[in-house]
Amino acid sequence: MPLQILLPLVVGGIAGIAVLLHLLGYSRQVDLSDPSFVAAQWCREFPDDQVEAIAMSDDGRVALVHASSGAGLLWAAGADTTARRADCAEVTPDATGLTVRFDDYGAAQLRISLPPQDQPHWINTLTASEAT
Amino acid sequence: MTANITFPDVVSWAVPLFIAAILAELFWIHATGRGGRYETRDAFTSLIMGAGNIASGILLGFIAYGFFMVLWQITPLDLGTSWMVIAICFVLDDLRYYWVHRFGHRIRWVWASHVNHHSSQHYNLTTALRQTWTGYFTFMMVVRAPLILLGFHPAMVLFCGGLNLIYQFWIHTEAINRLPRWFEAVMNTPSHHRAHHGRNARYLDCNYAGVFIIWDRIFGTFVPELDSEKVDYGLVHNLATFNPIRIAFHEWVAIFRDMAQPGLTLRQRLMYAVAPPGWSHDGSRDMTPVLKAKHLARHPEDRGTPGFEETAP
Repeated sequence: MPLQILLPLVVGGIAGIAVLLHLLGYSRQVDLSDPSFVAAQWCREFPDDQVEAIAMSDDGRVALVHASSGAGLLWAAGADTTARRADCAEVTPDATGLTVRFDDYGAAQLRISLPPQDQPHWINTLTASEAT
Repeated sequence: MTANITFPDVVSWAVPLFIAAILAELFWIHATGRGGRYETRDAFTSLIMGAGNIASGILLGFIAYGFFMVLWQITPLDLGTSWMVIAICFVLDDLRYYWVHRFGHRIRWVWASHVNHHSSQHYNLTTALRQTWTGYFTFMMVVRAPLILLGFHPAMVLFCGGLNLIYQFWIHTEAINRLPRWFEAVMNTPSHHRAHHGRNARYLDCNYAGVFIIWDRIFGTFVPELDSEKVDYGLVHNLATFNPIRIAFHEWVAIFRDMAQPGLTLRQRLMYAVAPPGWSHDGSRDMTPVLKAKHLARHPEDRGTPGFEETAP
């Protein structure tokens, strides 16, 4: 197919499908408000783990998971979830929360919305896990 | 010797079909509430990956074609371009696809290219287009060499490869459950390929077929999709990004980092590139047999069922 036809077709097709999906309501993020769902999603990623406790970020988009093998983070990735153990994370606090960078090119930087009073618990948990 | 043969670039001609089929699947799912899931960023990323795959083919395709034309100059054989020869070429190229795909799951260097196709947690027609940008880096083009040396013209071989890819498009759907038994026995189907995309221990490293599922039945890699175990799509450790650059290159970066660790022997560095995904010099990661064994430790009742027949106790 000539490039002058293929290019507009590809660009228009991608843009059109993306806009249509958004308008039809397929951009909604997964709801992490149910702790049993969060625990199930953690065990989906780490099947040998037992989840012991869960704390949620201010905006409900990130969960701090205490599991039998250590702590980690589970967060919304569109309609699904993704999770990482804390031992590969670098945590930087600021006034509105934490920024977490993972030693993993397959994981983008994570922003966690947290009030100042909750930050020490999260930082201690994540860095303690990092140290083990 | 046959010269100046041209075959249509069927993949680019199929782009309107791809768009129409995605829209049809989307409207079916939206109208009925069944037959799969869509998510905007996931689908958008898959489509960008597909566009990038076409772009990489335009930019780098000459490397493979040049290599094939060198082989074509060397070989004394020329089977011509009859319909029968094209049909035989299609079947043999599908056998070639089976092995390249199997290597793609069992050799980390090749997996680094193929992993992005499995990186979506969804399974719909856009997932079919989530294709590699780095296929040429794997050198898997050499697996096509025997076909050309046997006398199949390079343009015909690439034409058959294009048809193979188009066939595989429609099997990336949950909207089709099972097809007639005779078809499921011979052909790759949505059901067989759903199992291939599973991250469940049962479905790891199975169903590598492109068009004909008989290759998996012959070489012992066939696992049926079970109604009792829904396929969980994605990677054993799912990605945490929708950035196409990260998706395309994350495993290459990981290989480089692993190989560059201090204190490894030369063999260990090499193994990080060529051993199966999950290999590590200190045993800190799990390869497929260990993942299956761990699953059986949690679910001993699954021992001996499809996908767990050969796992050592």
